[in-house]
Amino acid sequence: MLYFNSIKDLINTLADTKELLSEMFEKRKSFDYKYEYAIQVLNKDKVQKLIDYGILIRHEDQLEMDEKYLDFFEKIMEVNENINAAYIDEQIQNLKDNINFYLKEDNDYRKQKFLREIKSDLRTTGRVIIRNIISLNRNITNTFKTEPNYKIKKLKLEKFDQKREKIMQLIQQTENLISEDELTFFKSVSDDELKEISNKLQLKLNEARHNLIESQKQIIDYINQIEHQGQVLEQIRQVKYLKDQFELKSKTNVGQVLGQNKDIFFETRTTYPVPVSLDALQTDEAYNIIVQINRSKNVDVKPEREEAEPIDQDYLTSQDSKKFFINHETVKNQFMATGDNLFDFIMKYDFSEEVNFYERVTLYCQILSEYEKELKVTDNYQQYKGVEYAVVLPNT
Amino acid sequence: MMNVPSKTDEIFDRLSKGEFICSNSSEQEIQQLYAIIDNRYEDLKEYFAQIGFDLKRENEYFYMARRDESKASIKRKIDKYFKWIDIFDFLKTFDNTIDPGYRFTISEIHNKLDVEANLKEKLEKLSTYTRKKNYRKSIQKIIDMLCKEGFAELENEVEGRYKILASFKYLEDMIMNINIPDEIQNEISE
Repeated sequence: MLYFNSIKDLINTLADTKELLSEMFEKRKSFDYKYEYAIQVLNKDKVQKLIDYGILIRHEDQLEMDEKYLDFFEKIMEVNENINAAYIDEQIQNLKDNINFYLKEDNDYRKQKFLREIKSDLRTTGRVIIRNIISLNRNITNTFKTEPNYKIKKLKLEKFDQKREKIMQLIQQTENLISEDELTFFKSVSDDELKEISNKLQLKLNEARHNLIESQKQIIDYINQIEHQGQVLEQIRQVKYLKDQFELKSKTNVGQVLGQNKDIFFETRTTYPVPVSLDALQTDEAYNIIVQINRSKNVDVKPEREEAEPIDQDYLTSQDSKKFFINHETVKNQFMATGDNLFDFIMKYDFSEEVNFYERVTLYCQILSEYEKELKVTDNYQQYKGVEYAVVLPNT
Repeated sequence: MMNVPSKTDEIFDRLSKGEFICSNSSEQEIQQLYAIIDNRYEDLKEYFAQIGFDLKRENEYFYMARRDESKASIKRKIDKYFKWIDIFDFLKTFDNTIDPGYRFTISEIHNKLDVEANLKEKLEKLSTYTRKKNYRKSIQKIIDMLCKEGFAELENEVEGRYKILASFKYLEDMIMNINIPDEIQNEISE
């Protein structure tokens, strides 16, 4: 047998032969895919390549997909198989017939042909049983989890339990066949391959039996859960009905049940206030808490506000008042247009109102400081009424 | 002096308010408290018994009852019981498989209103408790009540996914404990 060197090789091979593989996968339950059909779908070399790499197994003129690949595809595709106990039954019958034919046949060549068929039957029987159990378990879990109607759910599970029983019987039959019924055949035929196959089958049957015991537990558990669920649904329906009809108290023992009930669940939530000890109250921590609580309590208590007296009407009546003020800019501009010095100009300036000597001196100083850059302060000092001043001229 | 485990005060604090301590809570603190009670059940039961409380162990949850008379009036009990019958019935109508460990979102319930008229009608009747006209707000209010009483918890804030806690069985048991005589059962049509 050849082996793939890389995943790439494997995928390329599968892709190259996808027509045949998908066809065989679809017909996997019929188990009688003939070699001659295969070479019509795919060319001979490619079919041979699949056989060489162990993807397909050829028994005489029959082809089947290797178990590893079959399992792989089924797992990936999550194919929900039907549980076919009748098929297993038929398989066992075939096996019995072939053993019978083998024992009765004298011709060696024909004997070998029957032996090959027996081996093939033995191989497939184990596999079919295991696969059926896997499907059974999947169906049980699916039904329990997805079937919304609890009555149908229960019926379905009971049906699966019957199937489980049937498969269990078939396992027993197959075991009897190997170890008791056809003991002559299995003891008399000295064929190593047959021994290996029957050993493997016994191991598989053992595994299958354990699996089925698990399935049985699972079914019983699910059925119990469903029955309980059903009872709960029925009970709540009736209780609710009586409650809505205002008859629950008069027609059931609800009053008595609740009367005896002492669960705290029904009580109002109680708190257990404990006064703080005097020692604890004297700590800084307690002080801060008291301040905090006090502050939060004060928020709600607002002191009453006194109403203010009405505003005197006198405040509201408008009064015109005139205020005299000197525009420095105007005075300066007029000064700039004359050739006079600033001090004399201000002393002689005719304001609209009376401006005394000291105010005029102040104005002189203000203008001098405000418009310093436009004025020229000379070193020439003069005196007037006891005030010494610098002669200031326009800066032209 | 009796030997009680640490955190007995927290356990008492929760259970004496009528809360449940469930094994399947996602809150680490609750898980811790559950483990403590589970390990020291007998000690705690005896301890609480001395101060008048009865610590009760049910399937995957604990709660408390009083040893002497209940402080709740029969009227209060019936009112509260009836309210939870209505809510339990609503949730079972939404999905009859709802049980501890069940996960759901408000939107899932909301979406089902359109396809199940029965559910919508039941929700409308629940407005007695929710005081909401808006369906979504009303569902939110019911789920809030479930969480407040400790029957469910918000498991994933981002997805808004809630989980039913083990204490949900308490409601179921309360309903299953009612005995409806056979002749009455026969009167109630399918």
